[in-house]
Amino acid sequence: MQLNPSEISDLIKKRIEKFDVNVEAHTEGTVVSITDGIIKVHGLSDVMQGEMLEFPGDSYGMALNLERDSVGVVMLGAYQHITEGDTVKCTGKILEVPVGDALLGRVVDALGNPIDGKGDIDSNETSPVEKIAPGVIARKSVDQPVQLGLKSIDSMIPVGRGQRELIIGDRQTGKTAIAVDAIINQKTTGIKCIYVAIGQKRSSISNLVRKLEEHGAMAHTIIVSATASESAALQFIAPYAGCSMGEYFRDKGEDALIIYDDLTKQAWAYRQMSLLLRRPPGREAYPGDVFYIHSRLLERASRINAEEVEKLTGGKVKGKTGSLTALPIIETQGGDVSAFVPTNVISITDGQIFLESDLFNAGIRPAVNAGLSVSRVGGAAQTKIIKKLGGGIRLDLAQYRELAAFAQFASDLDDATRKQIERGQRVTELMKQNQYSPMSVAEMAVSLFAANEGFLDDLDVKKVRDFEEALQSYLKTEQTDLMTKINEKGDFNDEIKKGMTAAIKSFIKTSSW
Amino acid sequence: MSELATLARPYAEAAFKRAKETDSSKEWSENLAFLAAIMQDESLSAIVNNPKVAQDKLTQLLQDICQEQIKGEASNFLKILIENGRLSITSEIAVLFEQYKAEDEGYVDVDVITAYSLTKAEEQKFATSLKKTLNKNVNINASVDINLIGGFLVKAGDSVIDGSIGGQLQQLAKRI
Repeated sequence: MQLNPSEISDLIKKRIEKFDVNVEAHTEGTVVSITDGIIKVHGLSDVMQGEMLEFPGDSYGMALNLERDSVGVVMLGAYQHITEGDTVKCTGKILEVPVGDALLGRVVDALGNPIDGKGDIDSNETSPVEKIAPGVIARKSVDQPVQLGLKSIDSMIPVGRGQRELIIGDRQTGKTAIAVDAIINQKTTGIKCIYVAIGQKRSSISNLVRKLEEHGAMAHTIIVSATASESAALQFIAPYAGCSMGEYFRDKGEDALIIYDDLTKQAWAYRQMSLLLRRPPGREAYPGDVFYIHSRLLERASRINAEEVEKLTGGKVKGKTGSLTALPIIETQGGDVSAFVPTNVISITDGQIFLESDLFNAGIRPAVNAGLSVSRVGGAAQTKIIKKLGGGIRLDLAQYRELAAFAQFASDLDDATRKQIERGQRVTELMKQNQYSPMSVAEMAVSLFAANEGFLDDLDVKKVRDFEEALQSYLKTEQTDLMTKINEKGDFNDEIKKGMTAAIKSFIKTSSW
Repeated sequence: MSELATLARPYAEAAFKRAKETDSSKEWSENLAFLAAIMQDESLSAIVNNPKVAQDKLTQLLQDICQEQIKGEASNFLKILIENGRLSITSEIAVLFEQYKAEDEGYVDVDVITAYSLTKAEEQKFATSLKKTLNKNVNINASVDINLIGGFLVKAGDSVIDGSIGGQLQQLAKRI
């Protein structure tokens, strides 16, 4: 947008007109010392914990340590221009970020400033970064599904709206890939997505944005980015800022999905801040309240009932529940889930998706370990048809795991065992899925049905994926009625069962895989 | 600065309590102000901070300097400061002592900074209106700063009331 000088002067004139002259009263302090982004300030007698403080040169800090004669402040952004003796002003405000629909499709930093070069964000509403989670009365139990579009997860580890499901695994096991697929799959569901990137490379974020744009998933997504080059304070508050943006949708009766990628790095940032603030270190040098930083964040992901939505919107939205589903990501070191932060987050969340590098390297992608992954509340939310058909898959895989060690003695085994092993191999093969290709409920249901009914048993293991792919494209073109019916209702009854059996049989006749 | 205040607090508190008991806070205040003033002297602070100077010699020296002004309990206080090696924080002690005194007597020191010097009547007006807003008796310290352009700036402890044109221009600059 190009402005000519007269327009600019008009704009300034308007601002001056609107500017109300008032006497400003605030408390002040002086900078005593500056070390590694931590500033000690003398004075500021009535500062609040977490208050924004104004420094010279339009920079801001957050008051974290309130001591008798000084205040410990972490800087949000650059602090190199601040010198000893500078005046610090209280703003009387807790840190706030802009929220609203205008943020959708944008990339913002931890303070809500756009960093995608698409101009200002036209949003009048702001929301404090730190808020208390909804109370007991305001809540509703989880009973609607969030389809992540991944067979292995939606069938065995279902996620419901308002649930907190941890994605945990070593580096390079496809944690982010699951999250991205989940975002892409929400294109048609109306669930707004927020992706919070903490301590990542800028190049990975730009790749992610490009991928989401390619798949048309940016329109319903907000990306909050606090990259590795930004200060620890920004990396620490980014998840809370993203959560406030998600709560905006929850509180007006919509559904939102937030991904924290990843909370390990947030804990590191917080550890750095705490050590520099001279708070006593505890286990793994984390401060004493490292559990609380994650529990208060994840507790804000919730489902709230219609009355609460009505109250929060002032009666504008009636009869609609709101939800914020969280998919926190934790990176383990060498598969060690018993480290401090992983155990904390495992105990906070409603289940975890456990990814393993061994599986990943064996070509099983997504590398979900079905035995260790659980979903504590998602079962109640699962689509009926997937629940019905997914039960068999889980059992097949569990039995296969027990017998897998004997697989190489195939010739010496009894029939029942051999059959189980073969079924397990085929199901494992079927659970593989390419990245960026999430599946609809109907597509998933037919694949699971084929495995349950033994249509895969006669196939060569290597042919399973080709078979599935061909089956899906056949159904897409020849059986659209059946597929839309499953997608709409999500029920499993005799009619659907007959329809699916007939469809698969007629596909097998074409033998086109 | 903040660490020094932490160190100075117990001394100031003790001095003030004793002063109140003996009803001699005015004398104490003068004595402490005098001590703070002599500690500002460079040649003296060089001696005080020199570790080679023995404690009894230092005591002797300071007693020589202050023999006229500091007597009785205040000179005992000085001895304690020398013993504990806390002579360097005397100015903080004096500041804190004044704060305790002001708090106890229910008045605040207020800096009123204006672009042009105030008349007596204006000063009086400030005093009455500030007394209302701060709920305390005020002790006005008027000074002039041309950079304010117009209006006034009031500082009472940490709190600042900015009604100056300079401050408003800064606000406006930020808004634009």
